[in-house]
Amino acid sequence: MFGVTDVALILTSDHTNLRGAVAVLGLLIGWGFIGAGLFTWARRPDNSLGSLMVATGFAWFVGGLSGSDVPVLFSVGALLGSVYLVTTMHTLLAAPHGTLSQGDRRIVIGGYLLVTVGVIPLFLFFDPSTQCEDCPENVFLVEDSETAVNIVGTAINLLGIVVIALVLRSLVRRWRRATRPERRLYAPMYGAGVALMIALIGQLSLQSAGSEGNALDMAFVISLIPFALVPYLFVGAFVRARFVQGGAVGALMARLGDAQSAGGLNEALAEALDDPSLELVYWLPEAHRYVDASGRPVDLPEHDPKRAVTKVERDGECVAAIVHDATLPEVHEHVKAVGAAAALALDNERLDAQLRAKVGELRASRERMLQIGLEERRRLERDLHDGAQQRLVSMALNIRLARAKLNEDPLAAEQLLASAGSELESALEELRELARGIHPAVLTDRGLATALETLANRAPVPVELGELPHERLPEAVELAAYFVVAEALTNVAKYSEASHATVQVERDNGRVVVQVADDGIGGADPGRGTGLRGLADRLAVLEGRLEVESPQGNGTTITARIPCG
Amino acid sequence: MTRTILIVDDHPSFRASARMLLEAEGFDVIGEAEDGASALRAVEELRPDVVLLDVQLPDIDGLEVASRLTENGSGPAIVLTSSRDLADLGLVRERCPVRGFIPKAELSGAALEALL
Repeated sequence: MFGVTDVALILTSDHTNLRGAVAVLGLLIGWGFIGAGLFTWARRPDNSLGSLMVATGFAWFVGGLSGSDVPVLFSVGALLGSVYLVTTMHTLLAAPHGTLSQGDRRIVIGGYLLVTVGVIPLFLFFDPSTQCEDCPENVFLVEDSETAVNIVGTAINLLGIVVIALVLRSLVRRWRRATRPERRLYAPMYGAGVALMIALIGQLSLQSAGSEGNALDMAFVISLIPFALVPYLFVGAFVRARFVQGGAVGALMARLGDAQSAGGLNEALAEALDDPSLELVYWLPEAHRYVDASGRPVDLPEHDPKRAVTKVERDGECVAAIVHDATLPEVHEHVKAVGAAAALALDNERLDAQLRAKVGELRASRERMLQIGLEERRRLERDLHDGAQQRLVSMALNIRLARAKLNEDPLAAEQLLASAGSELESALEELRELARGIHPAVLTDRGLATALETLANRAPVPVELGELPHERLPEAVELAAYFVVAEALTNVAKYSEASHATVQVERDNGRVVVQVADDGIGGADPGRGTGLRGLADRLAVLEGRLEVESPQGNGTTITARIPCG
Repeated sequence: MTRTILIVDDHPSFRASARMLLEAEGFDVIGEAEDGASALRAVEELRPDVVLLDVQLPDIDGLEVASRLTENGSGPAIVLTSSRDLADLGLVRERCPVRGFIPKAELSGAALEALL
C-alpha cells in the first residue's frame, strides 16, 4: 500500500526523470524487500533478518517520498533517503543468523547515526532549488548556504565511505570464516553485498569529488542492481536449501543400506547434509552419556553459536543426537527427518555394537571356563599323585619287604603287612574323597537335600539345615549348590573357628539361592586361596554369582545365586 | 663294603618304607631329606656314597639338585626315583649325570646295586 502511494507520488512528480522506469523499479525493489522480509519472518520468527528486510523495504519507500511535490513529504524523504542503505548493510552483516558481532554493531550504529542525525546539519542549509528547478521546498531549511552544504556534504560523504569500507571489511572477514554450508548457500548474497558496497563507495567518491548529473545517476543505477538482488538472493538461498535438504533425505535413505561399518552412518549423514563437521552421537541410557561410533564419550556443545544439536528420538525416547553446523537451514524439520530415517540404521548400529560387546564377553567367559577346567584337572592329577599313589607305592614296598622277611622274621613280616593294610585303607578313603570331589554319587542318586545332609553330618561343627527343596533341580545347578556348601563348610572347619553354622537353600524368582553362615572370626577373602575363587568361577560358568560377607570378627556368610530355569 | 645312602623324598611314608627296605638289604641309611635345599645341606654334612633322589620335590626340581650335586665331579652316586614311570617323566638321559632311575614301586637293594 505504501508502495502504491509511492508509485503515485513518483508518477505525478514534476522533478523526477524517467518517472515510469523509476516508479516500476522502485516498486519492485521495495516489494522485493518487504516480501522477502515477511517470508523470512514467517519461517524464522526468531531470526531478525526478516524484520530487517521489511524495515529496509519501508525505508526504501520513505526515501521514495522525495519524489513527491509536497514539501513536507519531499523533505522527509530526502532527509531519510539514505536510511535504507544502512538497513541493507545491517541485513548483510547480520546474515544469516540475524545477530551482529560487537564490532559490527558499532559500525551499524555509526551508520544509523550518520544517516539520521548526521544529515541534519546538511538539510538545515540545503536549498534544493539550487540543484533542480522544479524541486519543492526544503521545510528544514534554515538558511541557504552553499559553503555549509559543501562542507557538511563532503564530511558526510567521507564518513559514509569509512562506514561502507568497514562494512566491506566485515563482510569479507565473515566470508572467510564461514563454514562450507554457509558459503554454499549465501555466496550470491555476499557477492551482491560486496558489489553494493563497492558501488556505494564509488558513488560517494564521485559525489565528494563534486561530479554531478549523469555520472552520478549512472553510479546510482549501478549500485541499485546488487541492492535490488539482495532480498531475492537471500530467499533463493533459503529455498534452495530446502530442496537440497529434501533431496538429501532421499539420498540418505538410499545410502543407509550401505552404511555397514561403524561410523558409516556418520559419514552418510554428513554427506547427505553437506556438513563435514556433522557428528552423530549415540545415547547410552546405562552409562547416561553420549558416545560416538567408536564408543568414546562426547559432550554436547552448550554455548557455541556455530553448532546446533538436533535430537533423534524413537518412541519418545532419545536415542541419538546430531551435532551440526548451525547454519543448516530448516534445521529441525529436515535434520529430524534425516535423523528419523537414520534411526533405523541407528538402532542397527547400536545393536551391532551391543552384540560385539556381548560376543567379547562370551569369549572371555569361555576362556575362563577352559582355564577352570584345566586347573581342575591339574589339581586332580596332583591329588592322585600326592595321595593315593604314594600310599600304594609304600604298600608295594612294605609287601615286598614282608615277603622277604616271611621266613626269618615272621613277626616283623606281620607288622609290615599290617601297616600295608592301613595304608590301603587310607588310600581307599582318599580315592573316595577324590571321587566325591569330582562328582558325589549321593547327589546323583538321592538328590540335593540328602547330599547336603551328609555334608552337614561330616562337618566338625554342628550345622543347622533350613528348608531344603525336595524336587530335583537341573543337574548342573544341584552340583553347583552342593559344592558351594561343601567348600563353605570346609572353610568353616579350617579357618573360621566357628561353633555353629547354618545352611539354607531357597528358590526365588527363577534362581536358587544358597546361603551358608557361620559365627566364626570372619575375615574370609576370596582372593586368598580359600577355594572361594574356584567357587566363584564355577558359578560364573552357570551365570551365577557369589557374594561373601565376612566382616572381621563377625562371622562369615556366603551367598550363591544360581539362575535356574 | 656297606654303602651309605641318603634318601631324598617329600613323602614321609615312602621315606620310612624305603629306609626299612634298604636297611634290610644291607645299606646304611645315614639320613633323610624332604626337599632340595635340605638335601644339598645333608650331602654336604653327611657325605653319603649314594643319594636316592625323588624327581618331584616341592622346592627345587630333582634334576636340578642332581646337577648341582655332580657339578664338581666328586659327588655321590645319584639314583633317581619317582612314583611316575620313566616315560611320564620325559628325562633326557645325556643331560642327567645320574647312574639311573628306579620306579619307587620297584625299589630294592638288588636294583640299586645293579646301577652302582
